[in-house]
Amino acid sequence: MAARLPRAPRRSSRGGRQAPRATGKTASDSRKENKFGRSTLLKQRPTMLPDLDNDTPRFMLKRIIRTQPQVSPLAPQIRKHEETEEAGLEPPSKRISSTVEMQLPDLVPENTSMTTFHMTRKKKKFSISEFERAADKRLPQNQTQSTLDSTSLARSLRMSLGSLIPPDTVEKRGLLRRPKNHKAIDMEAFEGGVEQNMLQRKAQNYLADSQTESMIRRATLTSDAEIVMSNTELFVQPQFGEQSQHRLSALEPQLPESKISAQGSKNFDAAHEEARLVGLVSSVGTNEGRTQRYSEKNLILDYEHVRRMTPVSPKTFVSQGEDHQSNSHQSDLMEQFSVPEEVVAGTTEHHANAGYSEQLEKKLTKTPESQITKTQDARVETEMTASEEEEVAEGSVERLDSPKAEPEVARSFGAGSLNRHSRAFSSQYFEKSGTKSFKKAVEQAGELEDRAVTGEMEDLEEEPTDDEAEIEEPESQEISMKTPAFIHAAAYKPLSLLSTPHPAESAVPKFPLQPLRSKIVPKSSGISQRKMSEPELASSLIKKVFSHYVKMPVARDAFRIVKKCSERYFRQLSNDLEAYTQHAGRKTVEVADLEVLMRRQGLVTDKMPLHVLIERHLPLEYRKLLIPVAVSGNKIIP
Amino acid sequence: MAMMMKRTAPRSTLRKIIKKHKPQLRLAANVDLLIHLNFLLFLHRLAEEARTNAFENRSKIIKPEHAIVAAKVVLKKSRG
Repeated sequence: MAARLPRAPRRSSRGGRQAPRATGKTASDSRKENKFGRSTLLKQRPTMLPDLDNDTPRFMLKRIIRTQPQVSPLAPQIRKHEETEEAGLEPPSKRISSTVEMQLPDLVPENTSMTTFHMTRKKKKFSISEFERAADKRLPQNQTQSTLDSTSLARSLRMSLGSLIPPDTVEKRGLLRRPKNHKAIDMEAFEGGVEQNMLQRKAQNYLADSQTESMIRRATLTSDAEIVMSNTELFVQPQFGEQSQHRLSALEPQLPESKISAQGSKNFDAAHEEARLVGLVSSVGTNEGRTQRYSEKNLILDYEHVRRMTPVSPKTFVSQGEDHQSNSHQSDLMEQFSVPEEVVAGTTEHHANAGYSEQLEKKLTKTPESQITKTQDARVETEMTASEEEEVAEGSVERLDSPKAEPEVARSFGAGSLNRHSRAFSSQYFEKSGTKSFKKAVEQAGELEDRAVTGEMEDLEEEPTDDEAEIEEPESQEISMKTPAFIHAAAYKPLSLLSTPHPAESAVPKFPLQPLRSKIVPKSSGISQRKMSEPELASSLIKKVFSHYVKMPVARDAFRIVKKCSERYFRQLSNDLEAYTQHAGRKTVEVADLEVLMRRQGLVTDKMPLHVLIERHLPLEYRKLLIPVAVSGNKIIP
Repeated sequence: MAMMMKRTAPRSTLRKIIKKHKPQLRLAANVDLLIHLNFLLFLHRLAEEARTNAFENRSKIIKPEHAIVAAKVVLKKSRG
């Protein structure tokens, strides 16, 4: 019954009782009756129809139905609040009583729907269907009775239905469609995204592998070509550098674009060997420049850049494979996903560098160089390997050693390694001496290729674990340029990884590579390492808490200040706690120490015991931990 | 206040921070919770101070200068 009430909106009338007045009103009245509820209906009933055997409107409706089969289109309208107004449309055939009761029967069958509707709008669907059914039922009835009635009823019905259906259907459709659409879209998008991710990951993996392999092959191929060319160009080393620089620079801009990488590779593969050679030489310079750039960039966090760079550079080597490009793109995209990707990227870069180095090496091999270069190379390798997780770096380094990279080569390697390192380390060591080392490295590279490099290399060698250096050097010497750096790199990888932390820390002040190494190595844990080396409180937590406490909008710069302030606070706090603990002759900070501290700070006073503060500021779980009384109940544990 | 408490205190991070500063110092069982409480109260004082400064400047938002001045004061107070 109550359901009916909602249906019947309004029109006031209790007029419904006097139903006979306006047929049009009746509908509204009936509706109103619904609104008012059974009581009104009951009241009306007696006026309308004498028979009131049953109080229940249901029986009333049954009677009505029996008596007057007319179906009131109002039913649907009744269902809807908005449609109540359409009651006016109801056929005048409905007599007061009939109208009222007609509506009642409508209401009755739809009672459930109405009730449900009233209860929850969701049931509108039911009501609609039921209404329709009832309407259909009624329609024939109406028709039988009187055409007029039927027509009117039908009209009203149609109208009501029309009004009902559209909104209901719309609602239904909306309800039905929207979720479907969303789901479809989501599913599709999700699946697509998943596939893409999978592809990207696979591509990356493949890319890494293929690149390394391709690099190796290409390096060998190119090296051969280079070797042939290198003979003549050995003396053109400085040009090499320029060209290489150009190439590198060209590559760099291309890096972000896969296509360009393809072109780059083309360039490489192209008969521009001389250019290549020169480019290699120039690469040193570019590397240097790059290192600077990278150092700055990377320091500022370009894992992404590194990634982009790396995939692109290797691509050039590998040659255009669009797949590679796509992979690189994907890899670029993937960069953000995992550090390993970075590593891969790093490796790709290394590959690229290795390629360069290889070429250079080959050229250089022709001219046996003093052991200095070798050592340099070895050192470079060691350094590079150490610093670089990637195998490529190591491999390339080795190659460099074997060909006795000339000072330029060494430089290029150093630069390359620097670049690589700079990229790898970027974020990590930025804060540390990375910048310093970079500058140093750059300067050194710029000044004297050999000496600087060797000097650095030596330093690097010293710094890295002896094992590393030893292993790397012999290996590097053994491995000729031709041998794929990957293989060696793989061997060195573990070493470099292990050694990187040490050399990184020790070498920080010395060679830029070193910090690079350490940076590159922990690439995977770059970010996490960052947190490890410098645990910081989540800035979001600080922001949230501070904003909550301050209850006012806060400028972004102010947040930075708050963060710095909290860092300083923690330092102070740890000092104080240590002092208190030592004063108490203990080595472990206890709750009592904290309390003393808070008392000294003025947070805990005689008026404000610690418990109050705990309860005020900490969530319940923590309160329970800190205040046993709160939880224990009977037991009181002071 | 309860709404703010939805966040769990970063207990492990706190421990790491203390460890970074004082590696030889150990922490008892629930001490880091009290440290967190201390930190919250510190931020609370900082916020109050900054808000006061902003009000004094008749500013609707907390500007960095307000925060700096507040920080100086509160850091001094909470030195213990």
